Amino acid sequence: MSSVVTLSKPFYSRFSRHRDTLLAAGAPIVIALVGFAIVLEAYGKSPIATYRDVLQGTFGSVRGFTEVLVIMIPLMFCALAVAIPARIGMLNVGAEGQLYIGAIFAAYVPLNWPGLRLQFMLPLMTLAGFLGGGLWAGLSGYLRAKGLLSEVLSTLLLNSVAGFGLQYLVFGVWHDPNSSNFPQSKPYPEAAVLPHIGSGRLHIGFMLALAGVALFWFVLQKTRWGYEMRAIGGNPEAARRSGIPISWYIVLLFVIGGGIAGIGGMAETSAIQGRLRPGFSSSYGYIGFLISWMSAHNPVLIVVMSFLLAVITSGRDVLQITQNLPGAAVNILMALILFVVLARRGRKPEET
Amino acid sequence: MLNRFLKLVAWSMAGAAILAAAACAGSSSAPNAAAGADGHAPFTMGVIHVGSKTDAGYNQAHAEAAAVVQRNLPYVKVLEAENIAENADVSRVIENMISQGAKFIVPASFGYLDPGLDVASKHPDVMFDHPAGFKQADNFHTFWATSDQQSYALGIAAGKMTKTNKLGFIGGFKIPNVIDTINAFTLGARSVNPKAEMHVIFDNTWSDPGKEAASTNALADQGVDVITMIVDSPITIVQTAEQRGIYSVGFHSTEVQKYAPKGWISGIGFTWGGFLTREIQSIEKGTWKSNPKNLLGDLNTDMVTLAPWGPAVPNDVKTMVEAKIADFKAGKAQVFTGPVKDNKGSVKIPAGQKGDPSLVNTIDWFVEGVIGQGS
Amino acid sequence: MSTSFFEGVLSSAALSGTSILYATVGEVIGERSGIVNLGLEGVMLVGAVIGFVVTAETGNPYVGVLAAALAGATFNMIFAYLVVTRRGNQLASGLALMFFALGLTAIIGKSYVGKPIGGLKDTPIPGLANLPQIGHALFEKDLLVYSVIPVAIAAWLLLYRTSWGLRMRAVGEDKTVAFAAGLKPHRLQYQALFVAGLLGGIGGGHLSIAYTKTWQEGMTAGAGFIAVGLVIFAAWSPIRAILGAVLFGGAVAVQLQLQARGSNVSPFLLDMIPYVVVLVVLMLFGRVKGRVVPAGLKNVFEGTG
Repeated sequence: MSSVVTLSKPFYSRFSRHRDTLLAAGAPIVIALVGFAIVLEAYGKSPIATYRDVLQGTFGSVRGFTEVLVIMIPLMFCALAVAIPARIGMLNVGAEGQLYIGAIFAAYVPLNWPGLRLQFMLPLMTLAGFLGGGLWAGLSGYLRAKGLLSEVLSTLLLNSVAGFGLQYLVFGVWHDPNSSNFPQSKPYPEAAVLPHIGSGRLHIGFMLALAGVALFWFVLQKTRWGYEMRAIGGNPEAARRSGIPISWYIVLLFVIGGGIAGIGGMAETSAIQGRLRPGFSSSYGYIGFLISWMSAHNPVLIVVMSFLLAVITSGRDVLQITQNLPGAAVNILMALILFVVLARRGRKPEET
Repeated sequence: MLNRFLKLVAWSMAGAAILAAAACAGSSSAPNAAAGADGHAPFTMGVIHVGSKTDAGYNQAHAEAAAVVQRNLPYVKVLEAENIAENADVSRVIENMISQGAKFIVPASFGYLDPGLDVASKHPDVMFDHPAGFKQADNFHTFWATSDQQSYALGIAAGKMTKTNKLGFIGGFKIPNVIDTINAFTLGARSVNPKAEMHVIFDNTWSDPGKEAASTNALADQGVDVITMIVDSPITIVQTAEQRGIYSVGFHSTEVQKYAPKGWISGIGFTWGGFLTREIQSIEKGTWKSNPKNLLGDLNTDMVTLAPWGPAVPNDVKTMVEAKIADFKAGKAQVFTGPVKDNKGSVKIPAGQKGDPSLVNTIDWFVEGVIGQGS
Repeated sequence: MSTSFFEGVLSSAALSGTSILYATVGEVIGERSGIVNLGLEGVMLVGAVIGFVVTAETGNPYVGVLAAALAGATFNMIFAYLVVTRRGNQLASGLALMFFALGLTAIIGKSYVGKPIGGLKDTPIPGLANLPQIGHALFEKDLLVYSVIPVAIAAWLLLYRTSWGLRMRAVGEDKTVAFAAGLKPHRLQYQALFVAGLLGGIGGGHLSIAYTKTWQEGMTAGAGFIAVGLVIFAAWSPIRAILGAVLFGGAVAVQLQLQARGSNVSPFLLDMIPYVVVLVVLMLFGRVKGRVVPAGLKNVFEGTG
């Protein structure tokens, strides 16, 4: 993978490739939109009407737009969880599981100490979420650092274990006695719910996620650690020879990445669900992987791609309600964008 | 590569902005129905399904009800969404429908209760009717129809027709409604066949064809030869039962017979169309809030039906069952008539007493004869 | 006709393990040629929906199974194009493929939900079906269950006893060396992925045509991911894959049979066991298996391919 371009590149060279880059950037989206339009036509739906409805649903109202931002939040957390280890060439496919374990650890706080005040409750929950996700990912990182097991496999398998663990808890010891055997935990007390911004469902998790992105950018670009990370990612052997402790970085970055996903899990269950429920993630972990990968693990682009995919994902409801198509169909649009990016990227032999 | 992606940023945002502007400038899909044929004031209703509308079960029952409403009141616009997960996702969908003008929402799944209540509290001018819920609010009512009486009656059929004395039940979740039905079925079966036992498996999901097939096979392996269920879609269970050559009794929709032409006994169906029509009319009249907050329709209402008999059912069984139904309708019989013991041996309803109708929302014990308490 | 616990578990395992085993064997072939397909879930879904639709339309489950196989293979060609010709990142391409299938199959299948199909019936093998303990479990099943072990053995023979298999494994070990030796790596990889798609499609088809006889959005419920994990557990051998599928199918089965008999163990803990076992086995024998991994895959698993 071509190493990260530093921002010290002179400005004028960017504009000289203006036309080419415009084409290159727009192509995946346009091709995907056309492809999806063909699918829509094949099922008798007007693509123009559909796209218009989706845009109206997402940009045409405050509520619609805030819903897009709400979906962005877990996507950004998960993308960060993937991007951080990816900087040194590690593949974290386990953001899904880290999300769940983080939510579980975070749930421990309000379920065991419901009387805590908000100033203590929320920070504790955040810490707990970080701890949970961090440990879960750290396990994979450790296994990889010791050469025992590829992180791709361990994170993937641990996703399933995390899902079952969550179900076990909400059906069992953490089950809400007032929910008549339906699997969910007791509702979180007010103090355990992340504050919302405005009257919609947007919550300060959004700020947390953006802060995470900003911190990531800062560390990557402006600190010695960031330099070392980029060195490892570019050429692990050279990095090893110049004394950078690779194993340590592997574990550390998995812990941090997983921890961030864990905070994302805490945010979702606290602010949106208001309690612990099984399956609260709609594949955020995997979509996060794709977002990070599409963005070349670059923090700024992660925000952009998260936004784009959030817009597409909110199209589900529109498809369902106004076009009578299964909401899952939006996955086609997302996949088409990916296909084009994948096909283009891979052409260069030095690309990953 | 970085600047290329920055261009991606600029391009996509510009493109989106242009398209959005075009969208807003263009004609928009009207959120309200055109005035109906008779110039009636438009009314929008929203139904949220947890599965597919054609599942020959729970979701189909609600979808058909919506279609009945549409027929009865042609000026009503019905918004429907399918396959919406039972978590906070549904709040988003409900809000979407409300923003399109819906004034009456039917969140058709047990797990929509809490998110539904949440949204209802933010929109006091929108009415909600939740099926089988157990919490209510000013603008949030719950409804269901008795199924234990029919279950009891069909249990009689099962008790008479079983050759192995083993009956089976596959349930989604161990909620009181489901326990109540299991108990009624068992009591009915044992009233004509004291040796009958009921084996229960809970799949811990309302819909998972793989688990349902596996559970049906597991029960059939145990020797069960009459199977019934409460899951969203009976199709898999009934088809698998037919394959194994055992009888089935359906639940939710009367359409299921075609999946088991030989082994079908009968089934319980719910027909909510009339009820929902009346609800809408009372909303329009302004009398909805004084309707009962938790309505339980009984056999004498139009909310329940029995499926047609399958070819294997002997005439004397039919007569017995129909007689029992008539008794229930006339109030001459009760499902839980003491003495009733639970499956651990203690007496739950003493001799001479009758079970409280509210049991359907609170019961948490199984009657004698039920093997396996689920999990 | 009451069966013993052992027989019940065996029977359930045979049913639920069959579709996973088909997919696993297919993935073994694909990975032997150096390609990891995280989108296997999508291939199975495509097989499931097309198989169901064709069975519903033609009334013939055998045609349905054939259609499922071909649909899976065709769908996998998209993946092949992306990772072989375009050299796209395998993991991302696989996940993209899975999402694509989720959406596509939802649309295709929507109007078929609830259609009754006769489906693939059980065909008991006379004589064998009456064997005690295992008769009903293994010999009163449908054709796909009967065929899955022979198919696994055939895959082994294909890989280890044919020249095609030899060439394929050479490509999986080192594409460059294979190319230098005069082989055509790209073509072989396409062929491997075609076969993998056929098998994945059959796996999905079994789920919808024979096992549940229904279609539902996303009905494979993670079976594809399980299969990818099983390939590693099976150390890339189709024969050992049988053991893995039995383990998984068995875990599901144990939980249900226990419930049917009235016991009260938490199903989720039981569900976790196979994954934990796979993880532990991989960890313990990781270094050993390091020598067993087709070398070409190392790049994928270490993030450089």
